[in-house]
Amino acid sequence: MTDTPWPRFYVFKQDSPEAPHMNCGSVHASDAEMALLNARDVFVRRPECVSLWVAPAARVAEVTVDGLAGLAPQADDAEGQAYEVFTKAAAKGQHAHVGQIAAGSPGQALRKASETYPDGVWVWMVVPSVAIVASPEDEGQAWFEAARDKPFRHQSFYHTERLIREIKAGQLDPEGDE
Amino acid sequence: MVGEELDQGKLAVFEERIARGEKIEPGDWMPEAYRQQLIRMISQHAHSEVVGMLPEGGWITRAPNLRRKLVLLAKVQDEAGHGEYLYHAAETLGVDRQELLEALLAERAKYSNIFNYPTLSWADIGIIGYFVDGAAILNQTMLARCSFGPYSRANIRICAEESFHMKQGKEMVIRMARGTSEQKQMVQDSVNRWWWPTLMMFGPHDTDSPNSPQLIRWGIKTRTNDELRQTFVDNLIPELHALGLSVPDPDLTFDEGEGHWMIGAIDWDEFYRVIHGDGPCNKERLGARRKAHEDGRWVREALAAYAARAEMAEAL
Repeated sequence: MTDTPWPRFYVFKQDSPEAPHMNCGSVHASDAEMALLNARDVFVRRPECVSLWVAPAARVAEVTVDGLAGLAPQADDAEGQAYEVFTKAAAKGQHAHVGQIAAGSPGQALRKASETYPDGVWVWMVVPSVAIVASPEDEGQAWFEAARDKPFRHQSFYHTERLIREIKAGQLDPEGDE
Repeated sequence: MVGEELDQGKLAVFEERIARGEKIEPGDWMPEAYRQQLIRMISQHAHSEVVGMLPEGGWITRAPNLRRKLVLLAKVQDEAGHGEYLYHAAETLGVDRQELLEALLAERAKYSNIFNYPTLSWADIGIIGYFVDGAAILNQTMLARCSFGPYSRANIRICAEESFHMKQGKEMVIRMARGTSEQKQMVQDSVNRWWWPTLMMFGPHDTDSPNSPQLIRWGIKTRTNDELRQTFVDNLIPELHALGLSVPDPDLTFDEGEGHWMIGAIDWDEFYRVIHGDGPCNKERLGARRKAHEDGRWVREALAAYAARAEMAEAL
């Protein structure tokens, strides 16, 4: 009954070209390529998406305001690598992509992120830029096309509340055909 | 003793945060009981979405026309997605989806009792959307306000999609209730079979839910089982009556003073019997899940082999 568990990938979804990528959850997959396909099936059954990023959970580091004090002091490392920074800035919000910083370790990246984006943030999340795999840009349209022609997936497709109102008001015969 | 005092201080801060309406995030301090309650609730919720595909999935090939087939297919796909949103929320608490799935298959975990009832006619597909998804939305709308950030966000996403599920079912019920006498009879029969099991979905009466006060204090739930059940009944009865449908409850009365529909006694013996494995479909549902898991094994193995080979090629 036991299988080897697939690694977990964080998923970041961009709803429109103007909007930042937002953390929307995670999927399990055998590799990044499958993670992108799974992410599309799980998070993009409806059309609000222009780009997906996935990153192995093991490469994602995050810290809350609570945990910030517990971060070990980090020596400044000029070499380092690029990290993408995501912050949860509203109590009820999600983690949104805010920019990029260079750091020598995930811990240092978190500290730098908290110093660069200090205001009103609840959670900082950093991912090495090289760990992120994006949905193909040149196929952007085709990749998300399948979600666009299914209006019946939206509640506005159904006129049930109007029908019930009309039946209750006696404007529609409950016995009659539409 | 010092540790205990420390925890008391942390608990006070934690409860103040919840009282202010802040969301608790995975890296934050939380009481172990909060974490355990959430893992239990979220994994049961996830399993319910996954097992919930079964009663409807069997009707996809028997849908009466292409429109209904497309709609049902989309709905069942959504349920699979909802399961995944929820497993993710549980995983932020330090458990693994694999463990949770194994607990389900080994009958160590529960899922919503409602899915242990059979879908005997096409009208049941309409009633599941209208009743079962309608009841689920009330619960999930409450959980979208939950104090734990990842569970709250998963429910916000679910609610946005679940409205479609409820409305497609309600549309079918309206259509059948205004259709031929055979259709009316079929939908009334379906109401009769699903009414009580749906009301049981909200869980035991408040007087028999020992966990409720703490769940409410910690903002995991914001309304009690009985409050949610009453809202459901008050919404639904006038609509059913307008459609010429009745519910199988001879004791149903309208309390003018309170403005509430008062239901008769719920058969909790049946509830506990079904929860403990003796429902009409418990064996069938778990059997179907196990079969799906086994039948998918070769796909998982093939993907793992492909990933391993790609990794080796990269290393060379």
